[in-house]
Amino acid sequence: MTEPSVFDLAIVGGGPAGQAAAEIAIANGLSVVMFDEQQRLGGQILRQPPVGFAVARWMQGRAYRGVAAQLARATALTAIDWRGGTSVLGLFKRADGFDIVANGPAGPASAVATRVLIAAGCYDMPVALPGWTTPGVMGAGAVQAFIKSQQFLPGRRFVLAGTHPLQLLVADQVRRGGGTVVAVIFAQSAAAAVARVLADPLTAVLNASTLASAAVSFARLRWAGVSVRFGTTVARAEGRARLSSVTLQNCVASGPTGRTAGVLNCDTLALCFGFLPQADLPRATGCTVERDPATGGWATTHDAWLRSSIVGLFVAGETTGVAGADCALEEGRIAGLGIALDAGRLTVAQADAAARAPRARLARRRKFAAMLADIASPAAIVPQLIDDTTIVCRCEDVTRGQLRAAMASRGGPGGASSLKLVTRAGMGLCQGRSCEQAVMTILGETGRPAGFTARFPVRPVAVADLI
Amino acid sequence: MRIEDSVTRGPGLDILVDGRVVPAFGGETLATTLIAAGISAFRDDSRDRPRGLFCNMGTCCECFVRVTVPGRAARDVRACLTLVAAGMAVELARHD
Repeated sequence: MTEPSVFDLAIVGGGPAGQAAAEIAIANGLSVVMFDEQQRLGGQILRQPPVGFAVARWMQGRAYRGVAAQLARATALTAIDWRGGTSVLGLFKRADGFDIVANGPAGPASAVATRVLIAAGCYDMPVALPGWTTPGVMGAGAVQAFIKSQQFLPGRRFVLAGTHPLQLLVADQVRRGGGTVVAVIFAQSAAAAVARVLADPLTAVLNASTLASAAVSFARLRWAGVSVRFGTTVARAEGRARLSSVTLQNCVASGPTGRTAGVLNCDTLALCFGFLPQADLPRATGCTVERDPATGGWATTHDAWLRSSIVGLFVAGETTGVAGADCALEEGRIAGLGIALDAGRLTVAQADAAARAPRARLARRRKFAAMLADIASPAAIVPQLIDDTTIVCRCEDVTRGQLRAAMASRGGPGGASSLKLVTRAGMGLCQGRSCEQAVMTILGETGRPAGFTARFPVRPVAVADLI
Repeated sequence: MRIEDSVTRGPGLDILVDGRVVPAFGGETLATTLIAAGISAFRDDSRDRPRGLFCNMGTCCECFVRVTVPGRAARDVRACLTLVAAGMAVELARHD
């Protein structure tokens, strides 16, 4: 198949949303190119083992059934021009579409497309706390990706700490992979989580399979003798070349009490306080975004067909706000229909009819996502874990104390971008993805939080690959 | 720790990390191979404190290492997104 000089659609992200949109776009006769930083299709939810690995019983849990079926269909779509292992660095509007500037294993891998869908997913919420830069402290999603794809445990003795129910699934996967789960620690009380479910029993019942997966993991952990604690959170991580222990503290509804609640010896701490949308690409392209009130980070605003504020640029999945793989799948379908509609391949009546079922399922799943976001809300916890000696910006080694001093010496805080110029926070390779939330919280203590200006390139690239 | 139960890996190969031979399997990411070899710190920060990977998905860039493969110039790459290859030589930015 010869590559078209202009694709009808470029998709950034090979997860459920991108796959669902690709399936519908191809069914409507559109040419599709898909970019992803991973080598294989699947996204983070279905991080596939590498070609050359054989893994019996990969991802067979109930929670993965819907997206696994989607992955099988998407893998069969030979019409997708798949660009795995490729980082999209930026999108540039031109009269008839977009230039997609990308970098792959063999260097520049750019393309031109009439329409673009950003379905770039989310990432582990970075949580700045004393010692969090110690090797062995990572996101729970990082641990899970090692297990799913690499069949690898990045340590031996694991503590999972956070507010999100996902940590039950990750702990269960660690244990079944042969690792020791020292403890799973929830900052909130069990009673508060249960009360939130009971406040909306219909939503709970309609999404019983997801709750059942967490419950099964919880039961398996308890049968295996794993300690699952509520009302406790992590105070600091200790170790030099590798994590050696974590100190715990008690936690009440208003946040950590500061009182020590024991020390656990471990070599890996997986933080699981939630997820942020990968928002750098829509922001750098100029899309309108808004702060996601439920989970934090930047959600790209859109209309009923998932059109962003930029003509021809669509968004779906966690890019629109973190709500989970099932919502992403439905949004991908609706975006695919919207793209086919705008491309003149469907009438409004046809697109509306085809979108009816995905929209109904999406509405139901969004209620459940809102319930989960309430249960897992890190808002009362995360800002209080940090102290003035804590590194906020990992790339440039900037502490909270340095940020506060810079704010004070300038006679009052500006936005994050002006603070970046003074302190270098947010200026490193990660483009502020790791520190922006914390910087905004620190700015917010005196009332004017605003984010960094997102800039090209949104992923690191050698200058030689750009010229 | 590699999970062995029900898993068949790609062929074994060796890479060099700061001149030391480290065993790997085809299909592994460099991050996996390094951590499996007991190397959790990929660089030192400006205060000489060791740093390791945080996100394992290309977002945090904490796993940047310098890699040379035969026939190509050295490149700085994210270890979590880079597959190991025979003859690969890795330089960590450690000071000890």
